[in-house]
Amino acid sequence: MVRRLKARHEHALQELYDALAPWVLGLAYRILHDEDAAEEVVGDVFVKVWRHVHKHDPSRGPLVPWILSIARNRALDELRRRQRWWRKADRWGRAQGAGAGEEVATPGPHEAAVPGWPLHREVHAALATLPDDLRRVVTLAYFEGLSHSQIARRLQQPLGTVKTRLRAAHHKLADQLAHLKDWLE
Amino acid sequence: MTDWLGMSVPPRTPRPDLKGRVLARALARRRRWPLALAAALVVVAGGVGSAWWAYGRIDALGAERDRLAARVAALEDTVSSFIHDPATRLIQVPVSTGGRVGTVTIFADSARHRWLVRCDGLAPNARDQAYQLWFVTDKGMQPAALMAMDRDQPMVMGLPLPQAGERVMGAAMSIEPRAGSTSPSGPLVFHLDL
Repeated sequence: MVRRLKARHEHALQELYDALAPWVLGLAYRILHDEDAAEEVVGDVFVKVWRHVHKHDPSRGPLVPWILSIARNRALDELRRRQRWWRKADRWGRAQGAGAGEEVATPGPHEAAVPGWPLHREVHAALATLPDDLRRVVTLAYFEGLSHSQIARRLQQPLGTVKTRLRAAHHKLADQLAHLKDWLE
Repeated sequence: MTDWLGMSVPPRTPRPDLKGRVLARALARRRRWPLALAAALVVVAGGVGSAWWAYGRIDALGAERDRLAARVAALEDTVSSFIHDPATRLIQVPVSTGGRVGTVTIFADSARHRWLVRCDGLAPNARDQAYQLWFVTDKGMQPAALMAMDRDQPMVMGLPLPQAGERVMGAAMSIEPRAGSTSPSGPLVFHLDL
């Protein structure tokens, strides 16, 4: 897939969209809670991937996490822009706090037909098995893009505690997800 | 290992029309390349054509400049010999036109029977008028030159004297209709006896 993308095969881009668009849209929607904005992110992500796929270094990681990191960064940029413009950071914070447990909820069975589903279940399970306090800091850091100090303020915890919990969560996730590989051929 | 965390979120089925819009956006830039290339070629071709035209134009202008420079040099020689000839008489006439003081200078060459006249500081004419210079001869006033002055600038002209048989005794200038007159009919600017 990567080789065909780098060779500028347009059909490969279509295949990539079919395989990854649901996941990119899901991630963007999880961060933004806005369907239209999430679709904008999807467009931006695939344009960027198409233009910059030559920069992807397979030795530094598989293609899917690379694309997901682009989607996350783009969605967080949009989130911060909205927070600045709308000055609704508090409402967002409350909404995110109330929905903190939703990301580990069991999805409906019909979604199992989506490509990449087995990988999703493994990541989902790894996150779900984290203790609540670790999962909370990971969620705030990853899906809201908060810094360590911002997480500490949000949770009213010492900064050192937040750093320790993040470090512990990363170790646990790394152990459980080290074997993952792209499902794209 | 947070690289994979994005996969923890349940997927969402995109709206059917999103794929077309996304692919169109992504591929649009690539498809613009041929147009950009064509535009670049047009620009380059235009630049080469312009350079070629400019080169030819510069060449032509250079030749024209050389031709005019040679002509000016010849005129300078003529004027110089005319002015410095022992047979040339210099006459300067102060004039007043439109409240301005100017000068009419006449280099009268009796050997070649020619005058070189230079007018400085004359007020520009009205749109339907002109200055007319006259030879004062023993047979009356003869038209010498018609000078429609629309701009405030000096004027120089060479004038052959009337045919033999008419003795030039002086010069005059008057303001006449733009087409000129056969004899002075307007106000005189100056009248000079030589």
